[in-house]
Amino acid sequence: MATRQVYWNIEGEHWLYLLFIFALIFFGYGVFKRVQLWKLGKPENRCENVWQGIKDIIVYGFGHKRILKDPYPGLMHFAIFWGFVFLAFATAIITLQADVGLQIFHGWLYLFIKLTANLFGLAALIGILVAAYRRYIQRPDRLDNLADDAITLILLFVILLTGFLIEGVRMAALSFTTTPDQWASWGFVGQWISIPLRSWLNEAQLLSLHRFLWWFHLVLAMFFIGYFSHSKLFHVLLGPANQFMRNRGPIGIPETIDFEDESIETFGKSQLREFSWKALFNTDACLRCGRCQDNCPAYLSGKHLSPKRIIQDMKVLMQETGAAVEAAKEMATSVHAAGHDGAESAETEEWTGRALIGEVIPEEDLWACTTCRSCEQQCPVFIEHVDKTIDMRRNLVLMETRFPSEAQLAFKNMENNGNPWGIGWSTRADFLTNLGVKTCEEDPGAEYLYWPGCSGAFDARNQKVSAALVKLLNAAGVRYAILGNEEKCCGDSARKLGNEYLFYSLASENIEVMKGHGVKKIITQCPHCYNLIKNEYPQFGGDFEVIHHTVFLLDLIKSGKLKLSHGAGKTVTYHDSCYLGRYNQIYEQPRELLKTVGLDIKEMAHTGEKSFCCGAGGGRMWLEEHEGQRINEMRTDEAIALKTDYVGTACPFCLTMIADGIGARGVGEQLKALDIAEILENAL
Amino acid sequence: MAKGIFIIVEQRNLEIRKVSLELLGEGRKIADAAGEPLVAVILGQGIDGLAATVTAGGADKVILIDDAKLADYTTGAYTSVLNKLITKEQPQTVLMGNTAIGKDLAPRLAQRLGVGLASDCTGMEADASNFLIFKRPIYAGKAFEYVSSTVRPVMATIRPNTFKAADPNASRTAEIVKETADIDAADMRAILKEVAIAASKRPDLTEANIIVSGGRGMGGPENYVILEALADVVGAAVGASRAAVDAGWKEHKFQVGQTGKTVAPTLYIACGISGAIQHLAGMGSSKFIVAINKDPEANIFNVADYGIVGDLFEVVPVLTEEFKKLVNS
Repeated sequence: MATRQVYWNIEGEHWLYLLFIFALIFFGYGVFKRVQLWKLGKPENRCENVWQGIKDIIVYGFGHKRILKDPYPGLMHFAIFWGFVFLAFATAIITLQADVGLQIFHGWLYLFIKLTANLFGLAALIGILVAAYRRYIQRPDRLDNLADDAITLILLFVILLTGFLIEGVRMAALSFTTTPDQWASWGFVGQWISIPLRSWLNEAQLLSLHRFLWWFHLVLAMFFIGYFSHSKLFHVLLGPANQFMRNRGPIGIPETIDFEDESIETFGKSQLREFSWKALFNTDACLRCGRCQDNCPAYLSGKHLSPKRIIQDMKVLMQETGAAVEAAKEMATSVHAAGHDGAESAETEEWTGRALIGEVIPEEDLWACTTCRSCEQQCPVFIEHVDKTIDMRRNLVLMETRFPSEAQLAFKNMENNGNPWGIGWSTRADFLTNLGVKTCEEDPGAEYLYWPGCSGAFDARNQKVSAALVKLLNAAGVRYAILGNEEKCCGDSARKLGNEYLFYSLASENIEVMKGHGVKKIITQCPHCYNLIKNEYPQFGGDFEVIHHTVFLLDLIKSGKLKLSHGAGKTVTYHDSCYLGRYNQIYEQPRELLKTVGLDIKEMAHTGEKSFCCGAGGGRMWLEEHEGQRINEMRTDEAIALKTDYVGTACPFCLTMIADGIGARGVGEQLKALDIAEILENAL
Repeated sequence: MAKGIFIIVEQRNLEIRKVSLELLGEGRKIADAAGEPLVAVILGQGIDGLAATVTAGGADKVILIDDAKLADYTTGAYTSVLNKLITKEQPQTVLMGNTAIGKDLAPRLAQRLGVGLASDCTGMEADASNFLIFKRPIYAGKAFEYVSSTVRPVMATIRPNTFKAADPNASRTAEIVKETADIDAADMRAILKEVAIAASKRPDLTEANIIVSGGRGMGGPENYVILEALADVVGAAVGASRAAVDAGWKEHKFQVGQTGKTVAPTLYIACGISGAIQHLAGMGSSKFIVAINKDPEANIFNVADYGIVGDLFEVVPVLTEEFKKLVNS
């Protein structure tokens, strides 16, 4: 029967248990230290859905769903990961055989292990070499190199290499005996190594080399275990844990603040310990792979902001905070021991170290974020960057009144006139009522509320989109009405800029008004209004069915209510709106609409989940862009490169930004930015 | 008994700002009607020479407070000095311009005095009992509110360009009083160390009566000379749209619009500006808007009082020539 003797040629193997105990102690100490740090955060329940969590570990952990979206480092990681999975399996079986006494390491299982350990071990070895090549020779911008990275790579490489060498030396040594390894070809890497060894060394030399390598390999393996929880290796457990605990609800919803609660002393977050333990856990789960940074429009356009750096800087601050708390505790104990009374609890000590905002994370970084959420979308372990940014913006706005001066005007205008430009509130309805659209008051029986939003109501460019949409809705015989002058800014920009109070007052007023009219279904033409009313108004008791106009129009076409002519010969590229795509997974419907009117779609360099923000999200629409390149111009360049006739948009902000980009590049003659509703209107 | 209308005169480098003379001009009328003295209060260093200007502008009495610590405006020192003066003199009314300094100083001073403040007013008139009523634009200029105060002194800041300055009358005389400043170290919480002035002989965008503004249609930074030529003829400030600033043709401080300066001149000449809502938000309340644009569909024509569809490179030089003739005649 196929098997091999465990501990062949080895004496005193029981010493390994002693080493193992030491390794476990170091491992456990590392875990304990990290848990202490995570406990600095506030409580939060993230384990509500165990089965879904396990599924996520299988899909995103074992399956590498997100990791493989970046094929080069993805495949490299895949090789290393599965190599170690099979090697760990092999080690586990051998442990059961040798240490627990289960006689299972034989027959087909033995051969299976021998083959897979060789095959996948070799893949892992190649993966490690590729990783070292990528990290130290290619040096992509998104990687930063710490000693830990080098130690880990060398450690893994030497463990794998010595493993194969041991097998090779064993096979070579056995070939001198009467019982050569008759299953050697299953362990083909070992077999290759054994061939030259047999001619270079004699049996005695091979046996002592084997013993040396075996112990060396063992010591390294034990070092691996002890080092594990003190190094990046820990991500093997923390990454899947983070996937298990990921947010599965609507994405990127900030916490609510109860403004009626007079006991709240601070709003937003300016201190590390105000974040939940999960936020701190995130900083350890981050492996600095840099996918977030590689897809961040702010970083790519030359701003200082890097989502990776924010998480990593918070990790450093977490360690500093942990050390300070530790020191305070020791102080308290010694004071107490000395018989003094009233030793302050370390928990209540005031933080005197570096300030999170300003000293750890520059304020400009917080304002540079467009909340496009590409960082979160690309992160293999579901780290949440954006809500942290908004929490800190809140602190700056609500507590410190420190924000870019341009935001002040937008805030004031939203407050006074319910729109960011400060146009008289009593003229909001004018454009649409002039087109014959009825208000809810005039037509209380309307099935849908049409929500044009501030842009659709006031901005001349986007009024054209409203007019197009009205034509299409009328052609399809939809019965709809508007709130008219009762509508106010939905509050998305205010909320994402951290002005939760202003947002709250706008949102609660809108909800009251809509409830008063008995609104059930809402059609929006702005993805910001769409996302906010659909996903965030429920936090305040506003439960409505919200439909974006692209989705609604596609339904009208599919159900035959809207008939459009099918043109030919024109090309278009579709610019994904972040709040439609990444926030609400609406990628396909807008493209389908463009196809139904006979347009040929070409995709930009960044598209779908990796779409590049227009630069106006997160309230950036109302701020100046002082640093680096202009995000909207970079995005427009991607569209220009395709030489299409149109850029299709589905968001008023995107339309403004892309049209600005086209103007700046002076290509208005060749390329037109149009909302999809306008493109469809032409096919009526 | 409270007596007198105090105009807090703003001076910069010993030059009296236009808004202060406007207030003296209008204050003169109200003072005459009410039979109250019109008092100009000037703070600064080496300001004796300014007394003649404000006297010619309509003041009955000039209070000069000359001190090295008042040479440059600082919130703390000016508030403290004026607080003591007003408490002592008990005027009926205190007025100042709604300028950067006025906006900084007035609320603080009103709080110290424990009186109300009507800020950013665009009009004032006395009712039958000489009770001052102020007009304030609200809802972004869509409506006006009329406010008055029941406490004395009545305090208000008035938006520049609201009133007309009186023609200087050199034959007028006024009582000139010199007060000493009593400034505690505690008042000097901020010290002005340096003023970095960007050299420009044209008026500030926010104060200008006329603004000539250029957008993307300018085509490049070098073409602004034709706008500057026009601006110099009519004494206008030069502005730019966001597109032009984004393109790097003009500095951000020249930007008019949502994320730049909000302006409300009497005349706004928009050259090669499409009229995106972001721009309109910053200049929509100008009294007269003239738009010059090649594209007859440009949104700017929807808000313009006068529109010229044409190439600005042809139109603007013609305007400059015509204005030159008008100014010289």
